[in-house]
Amino acid sequence: MKHQLSLKNFVLCMTLALASIIFTGQSVLAQVNIVTSVTDYAAIAKEIGGDRVEVTSLAKGYQDPHFVDAKPIFITRLNKADMLIYNGLDLEIGWLPILITGARNSDIASPSAIGHYNASVSIKDFLDVHTTPIDRSMGDIHPGGNPHFMLNPGNGIPVARGIAARLIRIDPENAAFYEDNFKNFVSALKLKISEWETELAPFKGTEVVTYHKLWSYFLDWAGFKNAGTIEPKPGIPPSPSHTADLMRNMERDNVRLIMAANYYPTKTASIIARKTGATFLSLPVMIEGRDGIDSYIELFDALVGEITSALKNTKSSNQNAAEFNGG
Amino acid sequence: MKFRRIFFTLIITLFISPAITQQVFAGEQNDVKSELKELRKMMENMQQRIDELEEKNEALEKQAKEKEETIVVEEETDLTVIETPATERQGFLQKALNTFNPEISVIGIFAAAWYSQDDPIVFAEVDPENTGVNVQEIEIGFQGVIDSYFRFDTFLVFGVEGVELEEAYGTTLFSLPLNSQIRAGRMRAKFGRINQIHRHNQNFVTLPLPAAQFLGEHLNPTSIEANFLVPVPWYMELSALGGSPDVETPTFDRDENANNLARLLYIFHLANFVEVSEALGVSLGGSFATGVNNTGRDERSNMYGIDLFAKYRPLENNPYQEVMLQSEFMYLDADTPEENLENWGWYAQLVYRFAKRWNTGFRYGIIDTNTPVQEEAGDIDGDPAGLFTLIRNEEGEEEEGMLGLFGRTYRLSPMLTFNPSEFSRLRVQYDYLNQDFTENQHAIFLQFQYSLGAHGAHPF
Repeated sequence: MKHQLSLKNFVLCMTLALASIIFTGQSVLAQVNIVTSVTDYAAIAKEIGGDRVEVTSLAKGYQDPHFVDAKPIFITRLNKADMLIYNGLDLEIGWLPILITGARNSDIASPSAIGHYNASVSIKDFLDVHTTPIDRSMGDIHPGGNPHFMLNPGNGIPVARGIAARLIRIDPENAAFYEDNFKNFVSALKLKISEWETELAPFKGTEVVTYHKLWSYFLDWAGFKNAGTIEPKPGIPPSPSHTADLMRNMERDNVRLIMAANYYPTKTASIIARKTGATFLSLPVMIEGRDGIDSYIELFDALVGEITSALKNTKSSNQNAAEFNGG
Repeated sequence: MKFRRIFFTLIITLFISPAITQQVFAGEQNDVKSELKELRKMMENMQQRIDELEEKNEALEKQAKEKEETIVVEEETDLTVIETPATERQGFLQKALNTFNPEISVIGIFAAAWYSQDDPIVFAEVDPENTGVNVQEIEIGFQGVIDSYFRFDTFLVFGVEGVELEEAYGTTLFSLPLNSQIRAGRMRAKFGRINQIHRHNQNFVTLPLPAAQFLGEHLNPTSIEANFLVPVPWYMELSALGGSPDVETPTFDRDENANNLARLLYIFHLANFVEVSEALGVSLGGSFATGVNNTGRDERSNMYGIDLFAKYRPLENNPYQEVMLQSEFMYLDADTPEENLENWGWYAQLVYRFAKRWNTGFRYGIIDTNTPVQEEAGDIDGDPAGLFTLIRNEEGEEEEGMLGLFGRTYRLSPMLTFNPSEFSRLRVQYDYLNQDFTENQHAIFLQFQYSLGAHGAHPF
C-alpha cells in the first residue's frame, strides 16, 4: 500500500517536473522567429513584437533590394522561421522564390500560410501600375505597380497593422502586447507624419530628378513632381545622350534637386549636379540604410530633414544670386 | 396591237397598285399605331423604373461611402480587419499573371565560331561544333507550383542533336522529418557545381573540360534525390541520389544495362556555405558518384569531386562589382576488363564584374590520365576487349564520349561579357587548346543569348 502510494507520488512528481520543464522551456524559447526580406519590415516587426520576437533581415538596408545574392545561408534562416515578411510586387523576384523553395518550411512556403506575409497585400493604392500592354523594351518594370511603397510613411500604418494581425494569429497569447505596441507605433508615426507634412508644405510642387523610379510614393506624398530620371529606362544605366537631354530639361525647368538611393552609383548624378548647379542628395531609402537610422521614423526624419534643408539652401542661394544679379 | 395591250396593263398596274398597297397598309398602319402607343407606354414605365432605381442606387452609394469613411477610421487601428484580397484590386495584367499557368521561359543561345581547324576537337555537345554560326541550345522552361505539396520544373532543350528532356522534376514543398527535401524525376544531379548550373547561367561559351569529359555535358539521371539540411551553424546540405542514367554519358552506362539495384547510379553530395563576411561568401562541396560503365558487366566507375566557389561582393559603395572564383576537381576511377583507368581533371575560373552590365573572366581547365589509351590500339571493330570498345558510340563516332583518355589536354579561355539587360547577353571568348598527342587548336567565339518570358531566379 505504502509502496504503491510512493510510486504514484513519484509518477506525479515526474509528470509535474516534465510538464514544468516543457512549459517553462516554451515560455522562455517561445520567441516568434521572424525573417524579413528587407530591413524596413524587420524594424517594424521588432517595434510591434518587442522581446517576444526575434527578427533578422536577409538584405541589408544599404543594399539594392532588386539584386540580393541568394546566399545558401538564407535557406538555413528561412528554414527556422515562423514568419516571413517581404515586400512583394516582384521586388525580390530574382532571389527570394528559390530561397523559399529551399527552406522546406510549410509555415512560410505557401502564400496562404499564416507565416507568409506579403506586405503589398496591405497597401490599397499602388503607383505606376501598368494598365496597358507592356514588354521588356520598357526596361526593368514591375507589372503590378511600383514596389517602393514604403517610401510613403502613411503606408507604414497598414503594413504595421498587417504584421501585428499576423503576429496575433501566430502567437495569440501575447495578443494584447502586440496590439499595444502596434497602437503606440501608429500614434507616434501619425504625429510625425503631420510634422513632416508641415515641414514639406512650403516646397509643394518642387520639381526633382531621381536616379531610378523608386521615389514615386515619396514624391506623391510630398507633393513633388518628377522631372525625369537619370536612368533612361528602369534598370538601364545612364547613357550620354539621355544625360544631355536630361540636363537641358533641368536647366529649362530650373530643377534644383537630384535624389538617388544611396546604393546607386553617384558619378553621373554628381556630374549632372555640378553642371546644372542642382543639389545632389544620395539618400538612405531603407532603415539601416545609413548609420543611425534604426527605425521607420528615423528614416523619414533623415529624408525630410535633408531634403528640406537642401531645398532651403537652393532657395536662399537663388535669392542671393538674384540679388547679386540685380545689384 | 401588242404595244397597246402592254401600255394598257402598265397603266392599270400603275393606278391599281397604289390603291392596293394603300388598302393593305391602312390596316397595318392602325396596328403599328397601337403598337407604338404600347411601346411608348412601356418606355415611359421603364424610364420611371430607371429613375427610381437610380435614386435608390445613389442613396445606397451615399450610405456605403459614409460607411467606408467610418470604416477607414476604424480600420487604422482595428487588427481584426483581414487584408484586402489581392485579386479584388488587380488590373488585367496582374490577373493574367496570377492565373494557374506555369511560368514559361524560352532561352536561345547561339554562337558564331571560328576554329583554326576544319574538323575541330569539341568536348561538349552544346559547344559550337565548327566554324560558322551555331545554335548552342534553345531551352524551353515550364515551372510552377503543382499544389500545396509539390512544385514541378521542366526544361526541354532543342539542340543540334534534337530534343532532350534536360530536367523535369518535382520538389517537395512541405516540411519533412530531418529537414529533408525530396526531388524526383529527371534532374541535373548535385555533382559538383557546374553540373547544377544551366547553360544560360554559365560564365563561359564552352563547358569546362572535366565537366565535358567526365559528366558528358551534364549528368541528369532520372532519379530520386533526398536532400538533408544538416543542423550546423553554417549551411550544410547532404544529398543522396539513386537513379538510372538514361542519357548518354561516357562515364556511366545507360539504364537499359543498369538493370538491378547494384547497377544503378548513386550520387552523394555534401554542400557547405560559410558567410565569412557580408561581402564574402564561400561554398565548398564534395561529391561522389558510383555506377557501372559499359566496358563489361559489373565494371564500375567511381568518380570523386571537390567544388569550391567564392564570391566577393562589397554591398556598399560599389553595388554591382563582384569577383567570383570557381574551381572543381574531378577524379575518375573506372574498371575495365583490360585495366583500371585513372583520369582526373580540374578547372578554375575567375570572373570579375566591373560594371553593372559588364564582366570579364579567365578560365583554365585540364584533363589528364595516369593510364593513357594507346592510339595504335586502333581498330574499333576488331578488338572488342581492347580499350577502344570504351568508345560509347558504337556507330564509330571517334573520340566523342570516350571513357579513356589519350593524354593530357589543357585549355585557356579569356572572355568578356556584356549584358544589355538581364534578358540578353553578348559574349566574346578565345579558347587555346593544347593536347600533348595532337596539334594545338585556337578558337574565337561570339555568343549571343536571349531570354523570353518568366524572370528566372539567379542562383548563388
